[in-house]
Amino acid sequence: MPIKIALAGNPNSGKTTMFNHLTGSTQYVGNWPGVTVEKKEGRLKGDKDVIIQDLPGIYSLSPYTLEEVVSRNYLVNEMPDAIINIVDASNIERNLYLTTQLLEIGVPVVIALNMIDVVRKNGDVIDIKKLSEALGCEVVETAAVKGTGSKEVAAKAVVLASKGTKPSPRYKFSDTVEAALTEIENLVDSISNHRSRRFFAVKLFERDEKILEQLKLDENTINRIEEIISKVENELDDDSESIITNERYTCISQVVEKSVHKKNKSRLTTSDKIDLVLTNRWLALPIFAAIMFLVYYISITTVGGWATDWVNDVLFGEIIPPAVEGFLVSVGCADWLISLIVDGIVGGVGAVLGFLPQMIVLFFCLSILEDCGYMARIAFIMDRIFRKFGLSGKSFIPMLVATGCGVPGVMASRTIENESDRRITIMTTTFMPCSAKLPIIALIAGAMFRDSAWVAPSAYFVGIAAIIVSGIILKKFKGFIGDPAPFVMELPKYHLPSPKTVSIHMFDRAKSFVKKAGTVILLACVGVWFLSSFNWTLTMVDAENSILASLGKIIAPIFAPLGWGDWKSAVSTLNGLIAKENVVGTFGVLYGVEEVSENGAEVWAALQASYTQLAAYSFLIFNLLCAPCFAAIGAIRREMGNAKWTLIALGYQTGLAYAVSLIIYQFGMMFTGNFSVIFGTLAIILVAAFVYLLFKPVNKHEGLTRKAMAS
Amino acid sequence: MPLTMAKTGEPNLIKKITGKDETRRFLESLGFVVGEQVTVMSEIAGNVICRIKDTRIALDKSMANRIIV
Repeated sequence: MPIKIALAGNPNSGKTTMFNHLTGSTQYVGNWPGVTVEKKEGRLKGDKDVIIQDLPGIYSLSPYTLEEVVSRNYLVNEMPDAIINIVDASNIERNLYLTTQLLEIGVPVVIALNMIDVVRKNGDVIDIKKLSEALGCEVVETAAVKGTGSKEVAAKAVVLASKGTKPSPRYKFSDTVEAALTEIENLVDSISNHRSRRFFAVKLFERDEKILEQLKLDENTINRIEEIISKVENELDDDSESIITNERYTCISQVVEKSVHKKNKSRLTTSDKIDLVLTNRWLALPIFAAIMFLVYYISITTVGGWATDWVNDVLFGEIIPPAVEGFLVSVGCADWLISLIVDGIVGGVGAVLGFLPQMIVLFFCLSILEDCGYMARIAFIMDRIFRKFGLSGKSFIPMLVATGCGVPGVMASRTIENESDRRITIMTTTFMPCSAKLPIIALIAGAMFRDSAWVAPSAYFVGIAAIIVSGIILKKFKGFIGDPAPFVMELPKYHLPSPKTVSIHMFDRAKSFVKKAGTVILLACVGVWFLSSFNWTLTMVDAENSILASLGKIIAPIFAPLGWGDWKSAVSTLNGLIAKENVVGTFGVLYGVEEVSENGAEVWAALQASYTQLAAYSFLIFNLLCAPCFAAIGAIRREMGNAKWTLIALGYQTGLAYAVSLIIYQFGMMFTGNFSVIFGTLAIILVAAFVYLLFKPVNKHEGLTRKAMAS
Repeated sequence: MPLTMAKTGEPNLIKKITGKDETRRFLESLGFVVGEQVTVMSEIAGNVICRIKDTRIALDKSMANRIIV
């Protein structure tokens, strides 16, 4: 039987950092609370018989959000062999609140006093020996970011797990409460000899419904317990839950007083000073907009753009294709095979890989922002705006995660307590441009808007705008009405981004991007090449007469009102459902076929010739907002929990994408003097509908009756 | 007075926390308990960032209004 050790602690105390260090994995680490939403397992490096379990962060064993339930259930019901309780030493009082609860479970506990380096830097001193004595368990100083102490903690936990030593805290609650707890312990037979008896007694005292249910007590016992509780409540003039909370904090402050010596109590920390500027009432939003603009400007238009240009124009334009073709011709390869390799694989996959540099630069910038602690502030800044539109700042976190990939983005919605908010967030999260949509943005911005700095950042802001507009509109429909969830969030300290974390983020993204290019996208490109090179009788033809063209021409008219009713764009968009990079890959194959067969010049020039800027922008917007790739659709299905909501989500996304693109294209045409009677009018009607939905007063009455019915 | 009205930068003692049990319990686990010192660090339209027990917690207006100082 392997030994199971759980990592438990407050959000953002460094559990995942330690987990990665102990198991050698590269789980996502972020400097904000709520990064980990699922429990993760790994084997201890050097001892394969030890399983380390990473849990979502919790503030107490009374869970508040969905992901906290995961942690409590594991700790209380499945019972690991030992718990490593990670305590943020720079914020020891609050962190020990959870510790006092963990010690009651009766499972061996080792405390990892993390971020001890920060404490030392502040000039504070923590007496480990006294702390360990008072808490009745071992305490080890660690600095997970630097990797110090993690191994010692794990080693201690393994020893304790095999011995099964229960923690024996020295601190005691007040006599009245202690007496009541002991009375309950003795009264309830099923817990009297249980190793978690203290935990059960406290929970019964707090009238925890789940525990009451679990223990299946008879009426007589319940009445007896109620008597005990009421007596104490009357004596202390408070409700039982608050009594316990106060007892805990009182004990903690006694423990802390003896073992922690703070140099200076209330001074403005560096983080506070930075916050004075970055979360300033007037400056916060402009600073945020400027930073995001800069990030996209650097990664898409300038630094990343130059690298991508070189890869696209030189590496996959002038160097690789002729070299490969030359080689294949020299070995006497069949014509069709040359076409498959040069046009299909090199053209398609190359088109996608070309955007790797831009992506790496973008993720470098984003992970710096994330790791230093700024992103958590954005959630706070955005809360004020989101709240006006019926959402809370908490919805921003999934959106932030979705800039990497929509799948974890959708999953991150679990941190939202309120059901209707969570649904709206799941529906709208994928509006954010993810890494796979980046090639589309970069392609359009690069090929169609050569000198423009606004196109790439605009994709980001269009995403946010789509989310906000959706928030307003959806909140007016049945099933979504209700006040936004309260926003409470701990803001992490600012720190210099760790090169290790930043590079892990960056290379993780790059790796999965390259992996996808070598698998799904490669296959799709071969498929596209085949379908676009042969006709129905399987003879090789020009792309215009191919199977793909004939299929594409059937669906293309749907997109004609959006300005890009040619079959190539339609096919690319559909192909994007498999993976969004495929949009660009398909272009690479389709335009590559024509170009290479003529003179082997660059592909993108052909694209410029066949699109107007307006049509290109409409194409970009449609692909940003429409239904995400199959992987993300799967995630939406899982988080929604039923097919009906999944379909509503997909229908809404695609419908919105179509409407917005239509409006952009038709209004653009109108301003250039090309009014289309039917679609121009449709666009005007759509705008009117949007305005109506945006400003329509919320039907409060209906909301109230629904609430009444629900309760 | 509710925390939303507290002056920025001035430490205050928490007198009372109102609201549903569930929310109150959550605030308590974050360190918001009666008698504890809390300082509003910045305030944007009723949303506040405050300092309590060495951490910075961001609260929206409705939550901040439940904390009476």
